[in-house]
Amino acid sequence: MVLGAPLLSATGIVASRRADGRDARILDGAAIALNAGDVVELRGPSGAGKTTLLLVLARLLPGASALLALEGESAATIPPDVWRTRVALLPQRTVLSDGSVGSNLRLPFALKVRAGEPVPTDENLRIALEDVGLADISLERDTRHLSVGQLARVALLRVLLAAPRILLLDEPDASLDDASASAVAAMTARFAADGGAVLRVSHLRTDAAATASYRLADGHLREVSAGAS
Amino acid sequence: MPADGVVAIAWPQLALAAGFILITAALSLALGLGLAKDISVAAARTYLQLLALGLVLRWVFATRIWWIVVVLLGLMTVVATRIVLKRAPDAPPGLFGSSFLSMAVTSVTVTFAVTALIIRVPVWYEPRYVIPIAGMVLGNSMTGIALAIERLFSDLDSRAEEILALTALGANRWELAGASVRTALRAGLIPTINSMAAAGIVFIPGMMTGQILAGADPLDATKYQIVVMLMVSAATAVGSIMAVMLTYRRRFSADGVFLDKGLREGAS
Repeated sequence: MVLGAPLLSATGIVASRRADGRDARILDGAAIALNAGDVVELRGPSGAGKTTLLLVLARLLPGASALLALEGESAATIPPDVWRTRVALLPQRTVLSDGSVGSNLRLPFALKVRAGEPVPTDENLRIALEDVGLADISLERDTRHLSVGQLARVALLRVLLAAPRILLLDEPDASLDDASASAVAAMTARFAADGGAVLRVSHLRTDAAATASYRLADGHLREVSAGAS
Repeated sequence: MPADGVVAIAWPQLALAAGFILITAALSLALGLGLAKDISVAAARTYLQLLALGLVLRWVFATRIWWIVVVLLGLMTVVATRIVLKRAPDAPPGLFGSSFLSMAVTSVTVTFAVTALIIRVPVWYEPRYVIPIAGMVLGNSMTGIALAIERLFSDLDSRAEEILALTALGANRWELAGASVRTALRAGLIPTINSMAAAGIVFIPGMMTGQILAGADPLDATKYQIVVMLMVSAATAVGSIMAVMLTYRRRFSADGVFLDKGLREGAS
């Protein structure tokens, strides 16, 4: 860890995606830095590459290039699976695996990359569910019987329980009603207040807790005043 | 009719069999099925391919040269591998080597285990035993391996969103593909298990039928059939597991990211 280094820094982000049979460079040298406590909103026209940017930051896009560093430590020295446990992306389409809510919440701890870490107990999980307003969901509930809003919150809770440093959210409230959306915003605000950093693609709503807002257009990121689009 | 021999079919009688196909073709024409040409071509191919096979086998059985048997086994495995890959159009390219290896290793092991240890053929390459048994083992395990590979890659594609979410949680390639690998192996093994369970009740297996027609004692034919069915099941199981384990990584990048349909287009 380098003192004074941002939690996450990314420069020279270059990424192409294939569309209509040809490669289009949609990120062209973009740069961004996230510090502890940040809740950064990411806006921009659809197709501008917001999702692509999140994938690059989580090291989930083969073929993209970027200079990434976590607390001053270069991504080159961190294995990709370990990186992803610290820079956690929650994809836009919320998908849980078949099985119960409990087995899904515990799933990250069954992975080899987290071998040896303490697994949350049923009691831990129940308290965590209560904390995010899901006290009425039992750990035994089959994930197929969750509503869209419940699914989104369980998926976010799963990521948060795994304790990443950075949270990357792709339109976390796109299909949610206002109550679920504000529950999600409260969860992310608390994560940032506890020393994490959040980068969220926003489309519909403005996050009241946002500390900064970036606009992605023509392959570059530009900071705009928080809340403006 | 001799008690211990085969009643040979004479050439004119063989030609007569085509008459039944002519009736089928005529029915197809009358009902407008549009299959008359396909039926005729398929029937002609049956005559030509099987007569050619008969001549080749007669020659191979007569010459009894070990390397001809080995070359023939190699050719059979190549053709079986090509059929497997043709049945899995969604599989990533470059699977020929690993599929060939899976089929070759399991079929050769099983075939020679049967001929050397169970039938106890005096000459290890005795073509009259090795070629037909290898043919049965390959033909049946081919179906299982094809099903397993096809299911593996289609199941991975159907789980693309779940796989992305799990990758983002730090899962490695095996942890991502495990559920699909298990689904694929079940798909590959179920037909074999079913045919073992139904043998003798629902159908008389082809090999046994052949031996009985050739004048063998039904109980002797049964023993052969049991051995072959169990060996075919073993070859299918081991072959499917090998093929799936050798190939699933090809759908992932070096960084452990699943190459979904969008990324595949981008990479080409």
